Formats: sequence, structure tokens, C-alpha cells
Amino acid sequence: MATLRFNSLTGTLEKNPTSSFSSNPRLSWAYFQCNNKGERRASRMTVKAMGAAKYKGTQMREKKLTEMIEKKVSEAKQVCEGDETSDECKVAWDEVEEVSQAKADLRLRLEIEKKDPLESFCQENPETEECKIYED
Amino acid sequence: MAVCSAYTTQSLNSTCSISTPAKTHLGFHQKQVVFYRRSSKRGGSGSSSGPCVITCSAGDSQTVVIGLAADSGCGKSTFMRRLTSVFGGAAEPPKGGNPDSNTLISDMTTVICLDDYHSLDRTGRKEKGVTALDPRANDFDLMYEQVKAIKSGVAVDKPIYNHVTGLLDPPELIKPPKILVIEGLHPMFDERVRDLLDFSIYLDISNEVKFAWKIQRDMAERGHSLESIKASIEARKPDFDAYIDPQKKYADAVIEVLPTQLIPDDNEGKVLRVRLIMKEGVKHFSPVYLFDEGSTISWIPCGRKLTCSYPGIKFHYGPDTYFGNEVSILEMDGQFDRLDELIYVESHLSNISTKFYGEVTQQMLKHADFPGSNNGTGLFQTIVGLKIRDLYEQITSSKTAAPLEATKA
Repeated sequence: MATLRFNSLTGTLEKNPTSSFSSNPRLSWAYFQCNNKGERRASRMTVKAMGAAKYKGTQMREKKLTEMIEKKVSEAKQVCEGDETSDECKVAWDEVEEVSQAKADLRLRLEIEKKDPLESFCQENPETEECKIYED
Repeated sequence: MAVCSAYTTQSLNSTCSISTPAKTHLGFHQKQVVFYRRSSKRGGSGSSSGPCVITCSAGDSQTVVIGLAADSGCGKSTFMRRLTSVFGGAAEPPKGGNPDSNTLISDMTTVICLDDYHSLDRTGRKEKGVTALDPRANDFDLMYEQVKAIKSGVAVDKPIYNHVTGLLDPPELIKPPKILVIEGLHPMFDERVRDLLDFSIYLDISNEVKFAWKIQRDMAERGHSLESIKASIEARKPDFDAYIDPQKKYADAVIEVLPTQLIPDDNEGKVLRVRLIMKEGVKHFSPVYLFDEGSTISWIPCGRKLTCSYPGIKFHYGPDTYFGNEVSILEMDGQFDRLDELIYVESHLSNISTKFYGEVTQQMLKHADFPGSNNGTGLFQTIVGLKIRDLYEQITSSKTAAPLEATKA
């Protein structure tokens, strides 16, 4: 019989995260440990919720930034394998930081302003590709 | 008829600085009036300075410039939102322009992101092997010229650095606001830009807190892990320490964010110890104090009149020196749980430049959903916002009081 134990990181479920620069109050971590015939498996589940993006352009940006983060982290790991103190390694991690922050900024904007960043642009340019209403 | 304000600055006493029209590559828009000035000394022994061109703007050109050094992206941080909120109105990106603009505009303030002055885009930096933190990636000449222009009432075409594409986009027009905030990695790096600042702030996040915050920021992203977050911070640290950190000695106010001392071995970065380090002797800025200015105070507000929940709140205030400057430090450790704690604390602080009792509390409540609203980061950011409002009002009232000296015939 497997027993399930659920631990969540305290404080991360509150409405007011304390950092000025983190932006995801709906983040939670869960550790699941299954005791099954003496075997232990730990898996991690992360739940991410972002404020609703309305325009295709914003959804495209979110997607692009997400992909870039993943791509640039793996690039940085590759580049730094040779020499951790090299300029190339520094620049690679700086790029990771830049796109991570850009994604976080977008997330924060969607949550705090509760409106799509493209709102005013799309009022003036409703026909552009970016301003099509995004439907999931 | 346009009115040209001639400020009684030292530069007008002896010689006039002559500026040539249409420096189009730097994006200036100028309206110019040429004054001919004759030497007031008879006998012609005085210096004949010839024609002087004085740049005028049609409106009220009394732009106050504030610098904010922060390693957290630009113009969207909660500090900026709190600051613009103190002046009233919400700050929004320029309407109808580039959707990836980093600029924020409200009625009174315009916030410019200094990343817009990158001389190298992402590809360029990769080729040269420099990070964004490196001064070689930034055009300080342009930064200086444009901030100077805006300060003197001239609109500029400022480049846009697009953080999504990593490219430099076509410029956007920035009209001189009442208050210009330049936010980014290097507002105090270049001496000429530093001299243009009426007030400067440095947000100093300790390594432990930075790590905790970046974990909260990035752990949900595919691709990131504890190791990658740590590696990113470590890789940027040498450039950060070399180019960004040294700016703090120039700041008029430093907001230092450290792990709490109230909870032993706390590494979540949830409860924070925040220190507001205020330089003494700064024009138009009187440091906030507790109870008795210039003395040293340790204060725990929780007790008989106020009950707080764990871990409570602890304040400290006192004079000190910081990089050779005389400062006063106000420190808060812990967090607010209830409204009455906040108002109790506010009622015991002095020199907070509020216009009415409870203004700090009201501002904090207005943005209760912002990060930091329950601890010293939100409190001190709000107070600094009020001090900047006070500074702005002092500067503008002193300028209008100065008589306009017409040239004597």
C-alpha cells in the first residue's frame, strides 16, 4: 500500500510574496513520496498560474520567453563546461538572467495590472496579427 | 509668445554655452532664441561673449531627475509603481507606441529604463564577450546628453532596447515630465549623469535574499533548477561587484535588504531585515528618524499596546558612517500582519514628509497586493516616495521664487 505525504513550502501560497522581484503567488511545490514495497520515489510538481493573456501577441511573447529560458540555460551549461570563468560563460548566464527577468516582468504585469500589456497598442492597431484575440 | 526662463545658474554669469541647432543624430528637438549680450562694463574691457543661444521650451522646464540603481529589470518594479502612485495616477507604457517599450508614463512622472542605452544588443554583447553589466555595453555619452536635454526641457528620441528580441528598436519620443526617473544598472556610474541627479537611490539586495527571490522567480520555469539559478548568480557576480556595487557610495539613500535576524537560520527570504541608509547633508532631503534625531534607538513596538504575531517587529535607528559619508540608518526587521501595526509604527516615525496622518499606511494599503507590502521593503519604498515628493516640491518652489533676470541693456 502506498502512502502519500504532501508537503508544501510554507509561505509560497500566500497572496503577498515578500520579494519585490518575485512575482508568482500561486506557485506551490509539492513533494510526493510513495512508500511502496520499500521503494521511495520522490517527484516534484510545480503549478504555475499566470494572469489571463488576451491578445495573441502577448501569448506569443510568453511562449517565446519560456522557450528561450530553456534554450539559454542549456546553452550556458554547455558553454561553461570548458571554463567556468570564461567571458563566454559569463555572457551565457547573463542572457539567462535577462530572459528570466523579462518573463517575470511580463508575468508581474499581467498579474498586477490585470490587463494585457498590448491593450493600448491593440486599441490603435486592431488588425495586426499580434492583436488577434487569443483563444485557448 | 514663448517665455524663456533664464535660470540664475553659474554658467550664465560669465559665458553662455552655445549649442548648435539640430543635433539630429542625438535626437534633440530644440526651440532656440538668440540673445545678444553686451558687456555691462563701460570701456569695453569686459569679455565680449558674442551671441548666446539659450535653449527654451514652451512650458515649465523644471524637470527633477531621480536615479534608481537596481538589478531587477526596469520600469516595472514595484518600487516604481509605489513611487508614481505617491504622485497620483497609474504609470503606463506610452500609448500606441512600441509594445515592448520599457518606459512608464504617469501624469507627473516618466520612468526610463537605462537598458535603452545599451550600445550593444544581445548578439553584439555575445560577440564582444561582455555582459549587460559591463560599461562597455552601454552608451554613457548618449545617456548623459539625453538626460541633460530632458532636464532642461527638451524632448528627445530615445532608443528602445527590446528585452524579448534582444535588439535595439527604433526610438520613441520622450517629452520632459515634471519628474524623470532613470532606473537601471548604471544610473550613478558616469560622473556627468550623476551630477544631473537631484536624488539617487540604490537598492542593495544581499546575496542570500537575492538567491531566495530568484528561486521564487525562476523555479517554475522549464529549464531552470536550483543549480542553474545558482550558476547564473555566481557567473554575474564578478561584473556586478566590479561595476554595479561601487555605485552605492554615491547614493543619497540606500535600501539594503538582508535576511531576518529574528528567525535563526531562516533561508526562505520571507521575513526580511531592511535598512534605509540616508545620507546626511543632502539638499532638500531630511532623513527619517525615530523619536530623537541623531540618537541611537532600539524599538520593539509589540508589547502592551500592540500585540504582534511571530516573529514580530523590531526597529533600530541611529547615526553611522557609510563609505566615508555621515548617514542615519533606520532599520526594520520583521513583518506587519495587521493594519493597526502599520499605523502604530507610522505614528512613531518622524520626518516622513506625509501630508496627513496615516498617509504611509494608506499608500501601503492601496497596494496591498504588491510584493513587500507587509515588510520594510514596502514601507521604506513608500517613505522614499514621499521624501521624493517633498524634495520635488522644495525644488520647484525654490526655482519659481528666483527672479528672472532679463539682460540689461
